[in-house]
This record gives sequence, structure tokens and C-alpha cells, in this order.
Amino acid sequence: MNAFHGRVTAALADATLKIAIDRTTNTARAKRAAAIAAWPEFAQARVLGRDIKDHVIANMEYYLNQFETNAKKTGAKIHWARTGQEACEIVVGICKAANAKTVTRSKSMLGEEIGLPHALEAAGIERVETDLAEHIIQLAHEKPSHIIWPALHKTREQVGDLFRANHTDPGALETVEQMVNSARRNLREKFMAADVGISGANFLIADTGAICTVTNEGNAELTTTPPRVHIVTAGIEKLVPSMVEAMTMLRLLVRSATGAELTQYTTFHAGPKRTGDVDGPEEFHIVLVDAGRTTMLAEGLAEMLRCLRCGACMNHCVVYRQIGGHAYGATYPGPMGSVITPSLDGLEKSQDLPRACTLNGQCQEVCPVAIPLPKLIRGWRTKAWVQGYEPVYTAWALRIWEFLALRPALYQIASNMALRVMPVFAKGGWIAKMPLAGGWTRYRDMPRPQAATFLAQYKKRQAAK
Amino acid sequence: MNNAKKAIFAAIGKALPAPASAPAIAAELTQLRARIDATRPERVSGPPDEVFLDRVQSPGVAASAERIGSLNDLPAAVMRYAAQHDLALNIALQPHPNLEALNWSGLQTRDHVGTDETLAVGLALGGIAETGSLVFHSSPESPTLFAFLPLHHIVAVSYKNIWPWMEDYVRAFTGAPPPRNVNLVTGASGTTDIEGTLVRGAHGPGWLHVVMVGPPTD
Ligand code: SF4
Repeated sequence: MNAFHGRVTAALADATLKIAIDRTTNTARAKRAAAIAAWPEFAQARVLGRDIKDHVIANMEYYLNQFETNAKKTGAKIHWARTGQEACEIVVGICKAANAKTVTRSKSMLGEEIGLPHALEAAGIERVETDLAEHIIQLAHEKPSHIIWPALHKTREQVGDLFRANHTDPGALETVEQMVNSARRNLREKFMAADVGISGANFLIADTGAICTVTNEGNAELTTTPPRVHIVTAGIEKLVPSMVEAMTMLRLLVRSATGAELTQYTTFHAGPKRTGDVDGPEEFHIVLVDAGRTTMLAEGLAEMLRCLRCGACMNHCVVYRQIGGHAYGATYPGPMGSVITPSLDGLEKSQDLPRACTLNGQCQEVCPVAIPLPKLIRGWRTKAWVQGYEPVYTAWALRIWEFLALRPALYQIASNMALRVMPVFAKGGWIAKMPLAGGWTRYRDMPRPQAATFLAQYKKRQAAK
Repeated sequence: MNNAKKAIFAAIGKALPAPASAPAIAAELTQLRARIDATRPERVSGPPDEVFLDRVQSPGVAASAERIGSLNDLPAAVMRYAAQHDLALNIALQPHPNLEALNWSGLQTRDHVGTDETLAVGLALGGIAETGSLVFHSSPESPTLFAFLPLHHIVAVSYKNIWPWMEDYVRAFTGAPPPRNVNLVTGASGTTDIEGTLVRGAHGPGWLHVVMVGPPTD
């Protein structure tokens, strides 16, 4: 059993995990469906969103230059990072130059991707996660299991236990409301005391040089406004031409993520404090990060760079909903992760991910920028096959199948034999256990097969006519 | 150009066909923009200020709202709100000259917002009918933290400054240098991070009360 199979087996055996996944993803799917139903123009908007992102990606140099020029005009300092490590070094360097003891961080998937939490810790800088879910997993010393709800794998009972052990004066922790209030009280002073605030960016606005953050809690602005220094880390693919296009993307993003029409707080940040401002950072840094994006562009994965990180594909994925995010063993779980991770970590290490997919197409259907996820996942499977990463048993099974498929008479004999043997293991209409099929039947049943093969039934019916 | 930027641009250049000319890019963008209006949720029919008040109080946004005749009536509205919620008559008042010029007798006011502020009163630049969002541009008269630190936030907004759709707001400021912060505030703070259950007042205000200033009256 390899590491991936080990994680999947553990996840499938964890009944609490299944409850936690269901509680959040069921609500998310229902809310998204209602929001889309109330927006008849969604289909058209989705095609437009796709075309806007494709336009920007096709003209990336042009828009990156435009963004840089305009951001500099607002007083922002621009940094470029080829790799995640380079980006972390830049961020840690800015923190050190600012003599930072504590930094607050507002959830950013890019930050997770490049290992920023670890880099800050290694540099001896106290890191305070301000998004409620990130706060929960920081206390639990865990990693996010979903890109919108990083603590989705935790039940309220588990969160209550964590807060009881870690919060000052938590009070009663019976209801979710009491838990949220305890976090509010415990994080309050930390927001105001931080030296540096770090955020990601949902969009980079090329024609003004502003960056956009969206949150429902208000933690982004409390992270970026009080400290002396605000650092933004953003992937170079996050561009939109202007605020007008950002609005189209926001309509798509928020409905797909949470089912709301707009996040409670949608903020466009442009540069440091101005003359007379009583709040806002004195320094404003933007770190533009490649970390594999240009490789994806060269590898035929340009469509993946449209991704808004809305999480809809994982909420609708039958595999994700069984195994949760941690089983994927990567920053990005679910369908979008199965496309991105092999590019970021190498196919050899992550070849199992594109295989953990039924290709049912639900993810593509709900994706607000119409990313053809199944096609891209199939592309990785083909590459894994060509490069010889398929497991030996799969390769052999396919070779045997190929041998039979080319010899119709033998093929019929083999399928007839299977039909005779399989019903022996069936109880009622289902097979719960069968030799050589343990991998399938351990977590699900197999339907009892028909009495005769398709060809045999077809012949019989034709003869009866 | 620094080395990292050079390397990134070289990689982009290698992966993509030769870049298009600036006029060609602009022309393509104009075509994309022409498609935006047809994709907006077709719900803003009727006077924008009325649609806005509806949206603000809809279950998705869930703020409370009222309308007053003129800004002079704001202090009385604040006193009513405080009494209703059992709050002390002690407020952080956004340092906007139009607010400071009002008669606040009976209320204690200060021009800054504290870390654990209970009640703050502010003035928004405007609102967006489509989403029920308040718009703030940060400035010495509109510090950002007023919208984030208090537990209760009362915001006045003129009925004249309501844009129908989000794009209408953007177009009203196109070409102007961007403010340090544009904050679109749509309802009180909330989180669904624990089991997807919505709870208000996560880090930002737990209560948002919108006071629309000006007609219609009947
Ligand atoms: S791939 Fe599509 S559905 Fe999945 S997170 Fe990205 S934008 Fe959302």
C-alpha cells in the first residue's frame, strides 16, 4: 500500500470525518444551487468569466507590466519571485527589516502552497492566523483540508475541545456562536498588536494597481490595516484588466464558493497610508509569485490558470466527499488539486491523484470559469501511462484485457465465465465481498451482474424477432 | 528589470505565442466589456434606493435599515437604536465634517474607534442596489477601521448616491486615482467556518444598521 492509499484507507475508516465533510459540503452545494437558480444569466456570465481570464492569460506580460507600473504609482513596492522558496525569503526579509515579532495572516491558499507559515515559524516570527478556520487548524497543528473551509474536517465538538484547551476565558463552548465569540475575544488584541499583516489577493487590478481581497469575517482588513507593514503574496495569474471585470469575476466566485451574492467584505487595497490617513500601513509590498504557473502554461495547463479558488469542484466531487482534503496529501485537494499538484510536485510523486477520479464531469459543470477538469485529469493519466508510472497490476490487467479484446471468441468465453462465477458471491442484488475485488468491495457493493452477457442477450432477442 | 522578473517573463514568452499589440489587446477587451451588461442579475428594476433598501434587509445580507428625512435626524435615529439594543449613549463618530456638524447633545462622541468599540456611527460614500453593499473610500474623513472594529455599526447613506449595479459604481470613478482602500460592506460580519453554520459577528461588526437619508416620503 502506498502513502496515498494509506491516507485514503484511514479517511474512509474515520466516521467522524465523514460527518464533518457532509455537514459543510451539503450546505455548500444547496446554497450554491439556490444562488445559481436565482441568476438566470449565470451560463452567459460563466462564458464571459472564462473569456476574460483567457484574455488576461494570453496577454499576461502586458497586464503584469501594466499592473506593476500602476501599483508603483500608488506607492506599493513590487517584488518578483520565481519559486515558492524565493517568495518566502522575500516575505521573511521584509518582516526582518521591519523588526517584526508578530505577524497576522489572513487566509491565502498561495501562502499555504509556498509554505509561508512554516517559513515564518522557522524565522522565529510569531504567526497569528486570523481567519477562523485557519485559527482552528493552527491550534490543532494541522493543514487545511478545503480551500474555502480549511477546518471542514473538524466537527463542532472537536472545535469546542480545542478552544477549551487553548483560549483564555473561553466561557461556555456548547454552541457554534459561543465558539465564534471566544475566537473574536481571543484574537482582538492580536490584530492590533501585530507588526506586519500578510494577505493574499483574489484579484490584481491591472489598470489601477490595486489588489482585491474578499472575506466574510472582516479579518482581512483587520490584518492589513493596523500593522505598520502590509505584505501581499499573489500568483501572477490573478490579474484582471480593471475593476469592471473584477465585478463579473466576483459574482461568479462568491456564488460558487458560498452561495452568497457578494462576500460581506470586498476590499480593493492600493498602496500605503496617504497623507492625513489615521489608519493603514506605512509600507505596502506586493510579492508576485510564479511558483509553477509558467510551467503550467508551457505544459498545456493554461486553462487551469483561470481557477478562482472557489472550491465548488471539491464540494461536488464524489471522491472528495468520501475521503476529505487531507487524503490528497497536497495543498490543493479535489479535482482542481488533482490537476495542479502533479504540475507543482511532479507527476511521479502525485500520480495517484489524477486516478482518484470517476470522470463524472460534475466538477466541470459547476466550475464558474468552465475549466475542463476531467480533460486535464485524463491528460495526466495519459502522461503517467506514457512515462510508465501506472502500477504493475493495472498495466498487466490492461494488457490481458487488450489481448482478449482483440480476440472476440476468447473475450466471450472469459465474460461468460465471469458471469457464472460472480453471482456465487452475491447476496440479494449486491456483491459485498469477492476474491480479487477487495479494493472495490471494502467500501462499496457491486451490483450482481445480469444472467447473460450483452451479446448473448442481443443474439437471443434478434433470434426471437 | 530584476532577475526574477526577467526569468518569469522569459518563461511566459516561451510558453505563449508572440504577444499581441497594445491596440489589439485593447480592442479585444472592448469586445469583452460589451458583453458584461447582459450577464448582470436582472433584478434592479425600480428606483435604486428602494432596491438597495430591499437588498440590505434581504435574508442574504440581513442588515437592518430605516429611512430618515435629512441628516439632521441621524442623532435621534442613533439614540433610538441604542435604546432598542440597550447600549450606552456613547459612540465613536467617524470624523466626517457632515457628521461632526450635527447636534449630538445627549450622546458622548469621540473621533476615533477603539479596539473593543461597542457602537460606531459613520457615513458611506454610497451604496450598490444590486448587492445591498455600502461603499467606503478610505480618507482622513473615513478611516477604514470604523467599518471593522465596532460590534454595532450604524451607517448613513444618501439616497442620491445609490448605483444600480456594481459596474455603475466602478464607472463613476474610472480614471480617478484609486483610494487606498475601497471597502464594499455587504451586511454584518459572518462566518460559516464551523460546520457551515452561519454565525454573525466573527471579527467585524455583529450588527449593521443602514440609515438612508432623504426621500421618498409619503
Ligand atoms: S477549478 Fe473551478 S470549481 Fe474548482 S476551485 Fe477552481 S474555479 Fe472553483
